Amino acid sequence: MDLIGQWLSYPAPLDRILSIVGIELHWLILQYVLGLPLFIILSLLLYARSKDEKWHEMAKTMAKALGIIFAVGAASGTVSEFGLVLIWPNLLEAAGRYIFFPLYAEIFAFLIEITFIYFLVFGWRKIGVRGKLILVFLALVGAWLSGALIMSVNSYMVAPTGIQASYDPMTGWKYDKGYPKLLLVVPKEIVSVLDVNKLLSLGMEVLGERSEGVAVLLPSKIVSKLASESWSNVRVGDSVLSLVIKEEALGSVKDLLVKDVVDTILVNTVKSVGYTMVTFLSPVYAGSILHALGAAMTVTGFTIVGGYSLLLLRSKSDKRKVYYANGLRLGILLSLIFIAVQGLLFGHILGVEIASYNPEKLAAMEGTSNSIFSFSRSLGIEGIMSFIAYGSFEAKLPDYDSIPRDYCTLAGAPFDCRPPLMIHYLYYVKTGLSILLGLYALISSILIMRGNLSPILLKINVLTPIVAQIISFLGWAVREIGRKPWSIYGIMTVDVAHTANPGDPLSYGLIALILISVALALILAVWKLLYAPSVREV
Amino acid sequence: MIPQVYFIALVFGIHIVAVNLGMALATIVPLLKRKADLTGNERLDGIARGIFRIYAATYAIAGVMGTAFTVFLLSFYPEFIGVAGNITLLPFGIAILSILIHFLAIVLYYYGWDSFPRWAHLSSGILLAITAYTIPLGFRLVFAFLNTPSGLKIDGKPYIDALGALANPTFAPLYLKSVFGAITFGSLFISALLAYRMVKERGEESSQLYSITLKVAVVGTFIMLILGPWYSMSLISTPMKFNNIFRSFGWGLGGVETVDMSWLFLIKMILIVIQIYAILRLIFGSVDFKLSALATISAALTILTGEYLNMFSQYPYFLANLPIVADKIPEPWRTILGRSLSLENVSPLASDPTLFLVTALGIAILLIAIGYFIYETLFKGE
Repeated sequence: MDLIGQWLSYPAPLDRILSIVGIELHWLILQYVLGLPLFIILSLLLYARSKDEKWHEMAKTMAKALGIIFAVGAASGTVSEFGLVLIWPNLLEAAGRYIFFPLYAEIFAFLIEITFIYFLVFGWRKIGVRGKLILVFLALVGAWLSGALIMSVNSYMVAPTGIQASYDPMTGWKYDKGYPKLLLVVPKEIVSVLDVNKLLSLGMEVLGERSEGVAVLLPSKIVSKLASESWSNVRVGDSVLSLVIKEEALGSVKDLLVKDVVDTILVNTVKSVGYTMVTFLSPVYAGSILHALGAAMTVTGFTIVGGYSLLLLRSKSDKRKVYYANGLRLGILLSLIFIAVQGLLFGHILGVEIASYNPEKLAAMEGTSNSIFSFSRSLGIEGIMSFIAYGSFEAKLPDYDSIPRDYCTLAGAPFDCRPPLMIHYLYYVKTGLSILLGLYALISSILIMRGNLSPILLKINVLTPIVAQIISFLGWAVREIGRKPWSIYGIMTVDVAHTANPGDPLSYGLIALILISVALALILAVWKLLYAPSVREV
Repeated sequence: MIPQVYFIALVFGIHIVAVNLGMALATIVPLLKRKADLTGNERLDGIARGIFRIYAATYAIAGVMGTAFTVFLLSFYPEFIGVAGNITLLPFGIAILSILIHFLAIVLYYYGWDSFPRWAHLSSGILLAITAYTIPLGFRLVFAFLNTPSGLKIDGKPYIDALGALANPTFAPLYLKSVFGAITFGSLFISALLAYRMVKERGEESSQLYSITLKVAVVGTFIMLILGPWYSMSLISTPMKFNNIFRSFGWGLGGVETVDMSWLFLIKMILIVIQIYAILRLIFGSVDFKLSALATISAALTILTGEYLNMFSQYPYFLANLPIVADKIPEPWRTILGRSLSLENVSPLASDPTLFLVTALGIAILLIAIGYFIYETLFKGE
């Protein structure tokens, strides 16, 4: 099977690739903004306890790094924001309309970050240890709050609040019953013009009346069709809605835009859930935020390991070597702890959530298709994987080949609705690298704690941040690529989210090149400001 | 006017003043550095470095406020963002590319100050200066489009024809006014800084630079006196906006008038008079920090009132000429553009009073943070 071809066959391939470059650049940087404050706190606490100046120096170096990285992160964030508006304007419009609150509140989290990070950086010499601890704690709160808010929006896109998945691990796929379905609270005045029996025959379920309206589970097929019609400016009379509206009411509503009807229902649904809470109630939110923070901590930890290993390799001063070795010990121990927690706990929590709410993605991740070589099938671990995912050996992994190619919309989709199978390889490479990195962290930490600082060990250590970044990138790739062709699972597909006036390949290539140049400029800045002065001290 | 507009106006106002200052500083710093390199003048090099530090803080403030502005727009007017995102790839694309390259240039220029070969450092400085002007080029194209939608085509879907957009009668005066306004304000800002510095220590470099920046401000102010009326005259293509500003003075055109903004125009004129008075006194008198500060503040407020005048005089429309062009737009776009381009069509979920309270609190913190930045960079720097 042509896996790359399948991935490119979804709508807007160039725009998706450019988004990957832009957002990955932002994430590559953000991990340090999330991770460094915690490492600074630990260094300062060690300094406060031991009065050993080396911990203070370490904290200062990390604070300096945080200042530089935050500036680049803010710039890459602005570019990503504009990029999203221009490439996925309809998605952004929907986000701004229905799930705006976390994006809105993030401005203030960003403000907390910028204020306290620069208080810390500019005021380092004038503030005592307690003051620094307070400032860096507030910077941490700002950064984590910002991460928590943005991750809630992303989680909503992965599994919107009220989504009912299409798979039962004991009985199999439920497409014949209209799943996946989405919870909607339909205002009573709209219910009064609908032919409810017809909707029931199409798979809608009525959950009951609420003060705001009638709560229903509507098949995603219908929801995504309505989303498509909304952003194509279709009127009710020409819409699938006309098939489920009572004949006597059709005349008075046929000239309304579908978008207005859908908007009324969605605003009502969000109001009934609570506009401040709707994204945080996504069923994959807990695992997502933990996994994102875990990735940030792990990457930061291994970057500290790599940095101090490089300095140890270049250092000729015994005094400096003692300092660098201490930094290396702190880095490797924390990296070991973080990668273990990330893999065994946070990864598992997220995996279980994905299994329950994104079964199509799980099927692709596990490669349960006969058209590809599957690692889980070849290794004979499908039973173990289903036990890990569903907590029962009786449970079965979802079968990819049984997913209908057109399950994501009514009247046939012009593209394959199944997620791209290439994520099977991305996922297994990611998992394999994670296990190897975890084992390496265990061995390395034992050797370092025993005082072994051999050049080979240090040279391998230098590579660990790159591996950690690759793993982190692959994790996001599985999450985002694996959601295709959906932009918001069960609601909006990429063709609907996409701009009506896309750019040409040349301008996209130029933007990608400049994004990569920004990343290189950051590396240059870190090299000049952090690494070069340290080497000069050697 | 509805409260959401005031929130947007507040963050936009701070953003635009910081952007204007940044444009001038991004031009002046590479020029000063080049002169310092050619003459081997280390004191001038030090002054250039100090100004670059201020520029970095200005850039940060402009960035934060710009982000707040975009997020407020997205939250209060999502449908406008949806429409704008679909049709403004060209102008916003120019701006985004420029922002990216500009940031790259800042990093290279800052970290290459003492370590790059001269030609490489100069190149990054030139890039810094050029992109400072291409960023507003993209944004001003959008602003001109929001006066009158030149280049808008609807062929099944709306899109912008590049040449048509550039031919917008309000684009050239608006863009040039921004550029020269920024240079005038930035020159006055530096002259005020140098006047403050000369109160403590009178150096030859400071004195020379003070004199040059004042002269630049004089020329800039003179050019603005031509560009201002040009932009006003170009607004004849936007009768509602023209009427809202000028009808109270008896210069109205035929057509609608929505809000009387003549009072703001009057304030702007008074500020310009104060600015000219202060500059003339400075040119013919001795170094005077208070007078320099007055000229700088009046220039900043002139920019602010000018932007507010431009923004509020088209209330309640994002697109000032919407009432005129509406009947030429086919359905369903007429309906869609009609409501998405209305400033009174606020997203219902973002109309919660508690949200306003939280926003007001957040903005207060935002302003305190700016105060901190200004304190750190102006009063605690070298």
